Amino acid sequence: MSDTTQVVERQGNAVAQSEEDRTPTVVPAIDIVENKNGIILWADLPGVTTDKLEVKVHDGTLTIEAEAVVPTPAGLHLQHAEIRGSRFARSFSLSPDFDTSKIEASLRDGVLKLTIPRREESHPRRIEVRID
Amino acid sequence: MSHFYFGTDLFNELNRLHQQMPSLFPGTPSSLRSAHLGAFPPVNIGTTDDSIEIVAFAPGIKPDEFDISIDKGLLTISGERKPILSESDTETRPYAQERFVGTFRRAIELPENADPDKVQARYANGCLSISIGKRESSKPRAITVQ
Repeated sequence: MSDTTQVVERQGNAVAQSEEDRTPTVVPAIDIVENKNGIILWADLPGVTTDKLEVKVHDGTLTIEAEAVVPTPAGLHLQHAEIRGSRFARSFSLSPDFDTSKIEASLRDGVLKLTIPRREESHPRRIEVRID
Repeated sequence: MSHFYFGTDLFNELNRLHQQMPSLFPGTPSSLRSAHLGAFPPVNIGTTDDSIEIVAFAPGIKPDEFDISIDKGLLTISGERKPILSESDTETRPYAQERFVGTFRRAIELPENADPDKVQARYANGCLSISIGKRESSKPRAITVQ
């Protein structure tokens, strides 16, 4: 397995979309680690519940889209905002080594965890050398 | 629909620009308590007729790990977000580390009319919502003309 990153961020799609619907889109902060089984990705999605979260894989592109809903009282007048969008979007291109049918996703306290396993045949293997 | 995101006017835009100035031009004087950009957790602040509403976007923290206090009109939110993986873990290789890790502390100056006895804090889906009541005397009143 080479050291080159196998999960490459895909720019463009998310940005183009945000211009259409005027609502600023927030790019969530992520952590990615690789272990021998595959890749684990964590994304900060504060205010997002499972019904407002969409994780899609299409043509080797993994897309995370979510919408945050923060309950607020009626008649609220915003005075200071450091987070200026309620939509999150980020996409990555996945190398074919990964088994996209076995991706596991869980959401807890606004943190999404994605476990993306490597295909069986892509696991690093040691090849025995026979001496004839 | 949440209104914690939009509806800011030109003044807020100018305010935001003012806040970003120190990071754009280091050395420019700014308010002592003005937050530098990228502080964790980001906060949005709004008001209603009855209360001051503060939302801190702090995912991945247990509710009892927050330390929230009000002292002399200053609301302080502090705590720690622990790393997901231990450093001794040699089996894993990190590719990206963008999420905030470590201790944090944010202070918010409350207006004069905030009542420190009427505070409610709630943590849900990674958002810490703090509601501070306003003193009775400061609430807007309609005055009837005799």
